Amino acid sequence: MSANKLEIDTEKRQSRLSRVSNVAKRPQVAFGLVIGIFWLIVLCAVSIWAPYDPLEAVDSRLLAPSMSHLLGTDALGRDVLTRVLFGARESMPIAAAVIICATVIGTLLGAVAGYVGGWVDAVVMRITDVVMAFPAILLAMAISAALGPGLRNGFIAILIVWWPIYARLVRGQVLSIKQREHVEAAISIGATRRRILQKHVMPMAITPVLVNATMDFGQVVLFLASLSFLGLGALPPSPEWGSMITEGAKNFYQWWIAVGPGLAILTVVLGFNFLGDGLRDVLDPRSKGEK
Amino acid sequence: MSAPTSYWGLMFRFIFRRLVVMPFLLFGIVTISFAISRFIPSDPLISIVGERQLNNPVVVAAAKQRWGLDKSMFGQYSSYMGNLVKGDLGISFRTKTPVVGDLIDRLPATFELAFTAMFFGTVGGVLLGVLAASRRNKFADHVSRLFALVGSSLPVFWLGLVVLYVFYARLGLMPGPGRLPPRVDSPEHITGFYLFDAMLTGNFSLVWPILQRLLLPAFALGWGLMGIISRLVRSSMLDELQADYVRTARAKGLTERIVFLKHALRNALLPVLTVSGFSIASLLTGAVLTETIFSWNGVGSYAVAATRSLDYPAINGVCILGGMIFLISNLVTDVLYAYADPKIRLQ
Amino acid sequence: MKNLNHGLVKRKKRGRLAIAGVALATLVIASCGGSSSSSTDTDSSARELIVARDMDINSLDPSRTYCDTCQIYMAATYETLIGLDVNDPSIQIPRIATTWEANADNTVFTFALNSDAKFSDGSSITSADVKWSWERLMNIKGSASYFLDGVSSLEAPDDATVVVTFAAPNSAFLAIVSSTYMSIVNSKVASEEGNAIAASGADTTDLAEQWFFTNSAGSGPYTLESYTEGDSLVLVRNENYWGTPAVFPKVTIKQVKDASAQLQLLQNGDADIAMQLSFDSISQLDGNASVVATPKDSYNYVYIALSPGAKGAENLKDPKVREAIKLAIDYDGMIDITVAGNGKKQASPIPNGFTGSADLALPAQDIEKAKALMAEAGKESGFSIDAIFPNANVYGVDFNVMMQKAQQDLKAINIELVLQPVEWAKWSETIKAQGIPITAVYFAPDHTDSSQYVQYFGMIEGSSWAKRAGGGAAGTPVSNPTEKDLLAKALAAGSDAKAGLYTQLGQELINDLVILPMVNPQLVIANASDIEGMHYSACCNLELGKLTLKK
Repeated sequence: MSANKLEIDTEKRQSRLSRVSNVAKRPQVAFGLVIGIFWLIVLCAVSIWAPYDPLEAVDSRLLAPSMSHLLGTDALGRDVLTRVLFGARESMPIAAAVIICATVIGTLLGAVAGYVGGWVDAVVMRITDVVMAFPAILLAMAISAALGPGLRNGFIAILIVWWPIYARLVRGQVLSIKQREHVEAAISIGATRRRILQKHVMPMAITPVLVNATMDFGQVVLFLASLSFLGLGALPPSPEWGSMITEGAKNFYQWWIAVGPGLAILTVVLGFNFLGDGLRDVLDPRSKGEK
Repeated sequence: MSAPTSYWGLMFRFIFRRLVVMPFLLFGIVTISFAISRFIPSDPLISIVGERQLNNPVVVAAAKQRWGLDKSMFGQYSSYMGNLVKGDLGISFRTKTPVVGDLIDRLPATFELAFTAMFFGTVGGVLLGVLAASRRNKFADHVSRLFALVGSSLPVFWLGLVVLYVFYARLGLMPGPGRLPPRVDSPEHITGFYLFDAMLTGNFSLVWPILQRLLLPAFALGWGLMGIISRLVRSSMLDELQADYVRTARAKGLTERIVFLKHALRNALLPVLTVSGFSIASLLTGAVLTETIFSWNGVGSYAVAATRSLDYPAINGVCILGGMIFLISNLVTDVLYAYADPKIRLQ
Repeated sequence: MKNLNHGLVKRKKRGRLAIAGVALATLVIASCGGSSSSSTDTDSSARELIVARDMDINSLDPSRTYCDTCQIYMAATYETLIGLDVNDPSIQIPRIATTWEANADNTVFTFALNSDAKFSDGSSITSADVKWSWERLMNIKGSASYFLDGVSSLEAPDDATVVVTFAAPNSAFLAIVSSTYMSIVNSKVASEEGNAIAASGADTTDLAEQWFFTNSAGSGPYTLESYTEGDSLVLVRNENYWGTPAVFPKVTIKQVKDASAQLQLLQNGDADIAMQLSFDSISQLDGNASVVATPKDSYNYVYIALSPGAKGAENLKDPKVREAIKLAIDYDGMIDITVAGNGKKQASPIPNGFTGSADLALPAQDIEKAKALMAEAGKESGFSIDAIFPNANVYGVDFNVMMQKAQQDLKAINIELVLQPVEWAKWSETIKAQGIPITAVYFAPDHTDSSQYVQYFGMIEGSSWAKRAGGGAAGTPVSNPTEKDLLAKALAAGSDAKAGLYTQLGQELINDLVILPMVNPQLVIANASDIEGMHYSACCNLELGKLTLKK
């Protein structure tokens, strides 16, 4: 019995590795990996090798792009490219925090609701219903307006908007898995509910959560930028991408101010979208992929 | 009474159940948005009275009394709910006019934009999806798929700025922000949809300028939807092409094209309908973000101005309106989908 | 965040206030005649005038308006008893009143009305309308109601005479009367059609605000045609106007939020006037023959306020520290950075051009002296202090930029400013609750008399800044009873004595070391080059009725 188990395990490991490399070779996923690594490097190292300070005026205002300022300067004479790069440090950690917290809260609530059922399920579902009946941007705007602008309050606003998605997702997964045979088998052996949840149900439910979380990362960055664009997220002089686009709108003819942040957001959303796709193919090749 | 089994019986029960739940959801929305706006310490008085008069006791007391800010939180809540039941959303702190009136004035502008964007997105998406499916894995396919993908990943407010800059400021091909040409009065108000009003009042010279000004914002809003729908159509059609009836049709000797279009496309349109309907929420979001860029006097720019000045009645009003639009459009889409595809169980 | 929140109020600007007594009024009457001459013809072929503006309208109800755009509206559709000369705001000219006089101690003011004056519906303006309008202003308790504080009686002994009596002397009253917020309303029309109420209790019983959004009931050169919030304000020429008819048959003020969009409209010829352009625009319009842009001096200013009585502001209690802060600021650099040099330094909270502003020493940077003062106060090692300020951009000055510059400057004396931009609502909550050690605000005058500055900024009991800074009552960190005495004297003074008294007051305000004016920004006014008579009015922002076309 144990020898067979060993064989099966090594088989699994090998095929998983080859799966990963196959998936990683696909152009979109490769693109996603490159983007992810690029921004990770920027996040960690930009303060070391950035040419200018993102908050200081380093030259005349509103200079067009040139060799010394690849994306020109903004209305206060700050280098735009530096601010775009530093912008990652504003939005990405917050986005990651939102995703992690939303996932944890949503998973806990969704798993409990799905597994326990009954009135617990009903209560959780009604709460998610109400929150999801709000168009997300309006809810986030109302919360941010009440709490005041600032990235920390933006974080709270987006978190409140985002967690129901994961609660719903995990609940759905738990419900469908509950019916599957090996869970019934475990129950027949007499395992406790908690153990069943931990060892059987959760591992299978995690995959779509992980995939979703990866793809959502870009969406949260986008949402945070949208809030900042409206004046509700980051406060000046923070180089957050959304507020930089607002500045670009005010200086409409100086196109270089808004171009950088927009492209940055685009790469993040696209890149993490592809990464999520790739992750799904690695973890669960049975699910329908791209044709 | 035994459970209805007839088609219409099921349909009726489905709609009924959804309608019954709606008021509770709306109540939840109202309470949450009220709580958000009142329980957090922030002083709306400054928008009402002005910084200069903040320390003038007479002016401040009169203002508090007028806007109900001197009542307890519970008192404010109960009077708000009481008015809400009568259809009164209160008076906006900022515009000093009833919120209901403000919203009604601005809805047509947002709807005109949203529907045009939906039209763009749906028609464009279908065409693009058909193109991609028919030229599978060739260059046209890759280009259209990239186009679709980029569309759903772009920040819509940034896209609005970019297209405005490129097509208006630089190339001069499109007119600038705003619903109407500068020195022109709006057509006589019948629906509030400028396009219809212009046509209905015989003001045909206005139709093209109005349409022109709809193009850029509708494109910016609709590109994302175009992306989603084109991918949907593409994969749907590729699926359908495998199906039996298509093979049968082929065997009968019909030409490739007719097979393709008639059967595959028609069935692929069903999910398109659903997605379109559910896109209202994201179109509303997009409207909030783009209306200010295009100087579009709709609900979106109203919402932005309201949050900036902590205009509680307006914020609550916009949330309720948004929730209602969302719930109703979801219901309508679900019903249309269920109607269009009798195979779907109405549970 | 650009500009002010909608609903937040702005003020208008005023000129230097010399004296406009009866003698001067008589001279002016003699030279230009009471009513219109027949030399101008109403040019119906003149085009519609389009003004591109980010409107901040809080109301169109004459007793409730209180904003910059409101002044333009009020000056176009209503009239005051006394007007100001467009080119020299120290000269008062008759409008609805032909003559006016104050008694010896400035407690009784008598106005004689012009019998030719008519409302837009053709009815005569009588003293009953004046009494009604001013009573309503008082009783609605809107933001401008303080203009009539201290009135003990408001009488209309006959149809053409109005007598206002104050309990205490008020030499500011004639200047206040020229403010657009004191405009005269057609009481019959407003009360019958609009259900407007002027009597006591109007603040709870009057419901006319909605009516005023669709009707104007005044005597000005224009009447209200329509107002669509977020879109446009449309005025049409008053064909029954009793004065010189306006040249432009229709004026539309279009809501355009961004300065760059306003500039674009102007350049395309789609707008004729824009008044909120940024300072760069001047150079952008240089080569354009069809548009003219000029920077004009204003009476607005932006200031930093030090509140020794606020929570966390113990270090500011020593006036030496506050003076050191004042001396550490690089004022020239501040003007460069915030308004690209298009602004001026200002000595005291009384702005340049107002009575009492001349002859006072302008602030100058002196780091050495600042350091010495800090040492004397025992604070040479410096300290850190909170600077919570509104996240605003007012009259072209971005508060974030200004505070960052101040932060930089104060490093030289080892003071670390901990900057915290907040929204207005949060700012007002904080300053009410516990005060703010260092903050930034702006001020635009409501009328052309300097008393408003002492009443607002003086360290006397009841003044707003005394409350905020912890001053006012005796024994508090900053209190200045001299100001109270001087103000009382100034309010009782005749026109000759005022200048000296307000100069002294200005110096006292400087000595308080609470309010530090930073920049007095200019305003950029741009218009199509065929428009004549373009100006920046001290009382009314822009008097639309005075604009003409070049022949």
